[in-house]
Amino acid sequence: MSGYGMPGGSGGPTIHDPLTLPVDDNVDAYTFCVELKGSQWFLQKGKMIAYYGSIDFNGIGHGRLDRLVRTSFHSPLHASDWVVAEGSGKMLLADRAFDVNSYDLDEGNLTIRSGNLLAFQPTLSLKQSIVPGFLTLIGTGKFVAASNGPVVFMEPPVRVDPQALVGWADCPSPCHHYDHGYLTGVMGGLRAMTGLGGASGEEHQFEFVGAGTVLLQSSESLMAEQATGAVPAEPGVPGGGGAPGGQAQGGGSPRLPGQLGDLQRRFGL
Amino acid sequence: MGSGAKSTHGCCSLHPGDGYLRSVATFRLQGSKVLAVDMTGDAVKAKHGSMVAYDGQIAFKKLSGGGEGLRGMVTRRLTGEQMTVMEARGQGTCWFADRASEINLVSLRGEKLYVESSNLLVTDAGLRTGTTFTGLRGASQGNGLFTTTVEGHGQAALLSDGPAVVLRVSAQYPLTVDPGAYIAHQGDVRQSFQSGVTFRTFLGEGGGEAFQIRFEGDGLVYVQPSERNTIAGDV
Repeated sequence: MSGYGMPGGSGGPTIHDPLTLPVDDNVDAYTFCVELKGSQWFLQKGKMIAYYGSIDFNGIGHGRLDRLVRTSFHSPLHASDWVVAEGSGKMLLADRAFDVNSYDLDEGNLTIRSGNLLAFQPTLSLKQSIVPGFLTLIGTGKFVAASNGPVVFMEPPVRVDPQALVGWADCPSPCHHYDHGYLTGVMGGLRAMTGLGGASGEEHQFEFVGAGTVLLQSSESLMAEQATGAVPAEPGVPGGGGAPGGQAQGGGSPRLPGQLGDLQRRFGL
Repeated sequence: MGSGAKSTHGCCSLHPGDGYLRSVATFRLQGSKVLAVDMTGDAVKAKHGSMVAYDGQIAFKKLSGGGEGLRGMVTRRLTGEQMTVMEARGQGTCWFADRASEINLVSLRGEKLYVESSNLLVTDAGLRTGTTFTGLRGASQGNGLFTTTVEGHGQAALLSDGPAVVLRVSAQYPLTVDPGAYIAHQGDVRQSFQSGVTFRTFLGEGGGEAFQIRFEGDGLVYVQPSERNTIAGDV
């Protein structure tokens, strides 16, 4: 990352032009530069901030791009949120002043929270994850992801806070973990609801075991979730039949064993 | 506007190579979100209410932006580009900040800087400010049809959401910018408005970048790594 630092420090801010902009690398912690030489990139709508050269942006679903969608975009319901940039030149990507970083996948797979993925090369294929609200990238290539604060890499076994999770690579198995000692029984329910008697706010985590890497952001503020498209309403499909992305941590903490239901539920409303 | 007394600092320019001697107040960044201005009897113009601390004897007076005099006043009324500006004058150091936005220093040597009034934090009192018509470009940014100009010799501090990236526009390398990320430009630059709205946009299959501003000529463009909400944001 080039040090933007203090612009006054060494004769003014760095002035970029197409020759000094990096190739497929960070301009600063918040801006990423992609070079296109007749090639294509997928990006989320509205994440391009500026470009040199001649680059076309086409919505996916554009007839000419049908083949591309078939080969590297296996989530047709989600395609309308993505555009294809093609042409030649250099393009700057950024997202709400969040940290952006690029990652290389080599015959690998990585699952990422849908709101965090900014752009990827068409050599990768994007699929909906079984976990609602997450997307999986498979193949070889580069992708750009945003995070609230720099990304930290962890090796399983590890338990992580749900809000800090960005994604995971190479298939560790993610599951929920509850500190049952704190949460069961009437006292546990009261603690969880009222915060009295020592609820730490950290009774629920995601647990990862197996071989792989877990990506965490260094803050617990989530990025707005991007719709990943509804899944087919079949029996056995997580999230199927419900609202799109409905199950994904909808109303705060999930209903726990021993916890009292809220009023609507008790009256069956 | 009085340019105040000559600075008594030995070297008060942040940019030694700049070679302008009329420098008045000294601008320096403390971190990237707080601007400290050292003043020796001279003045700066700042966004209303952006002072966070001062040291020494400094007086604050309300001004209004958009241009000086009666004509300026009428322009301001008509254009809505009326930033409320205060003048800080005195001896000492004054610190400015606004909603933890990143601050970018720009030094002007006779060029004209075009900036959205909401992105302008502090200018040397010796710089002239005015208002110009931006047309469709302004409308697409969601910031109104008019923009603020800053002209003269001295320094200005711009606000941005995330540190601004400065991009050079030259004859062989024209630049295209998303209206939501544009904050300012300077130099001899022509801008034109591009619209990629096609029938697909209305089918909900737009390219996501339906409105763009193209800069040609010779100058610098400042963009921020974040997009304001614009009417073009979703098409």
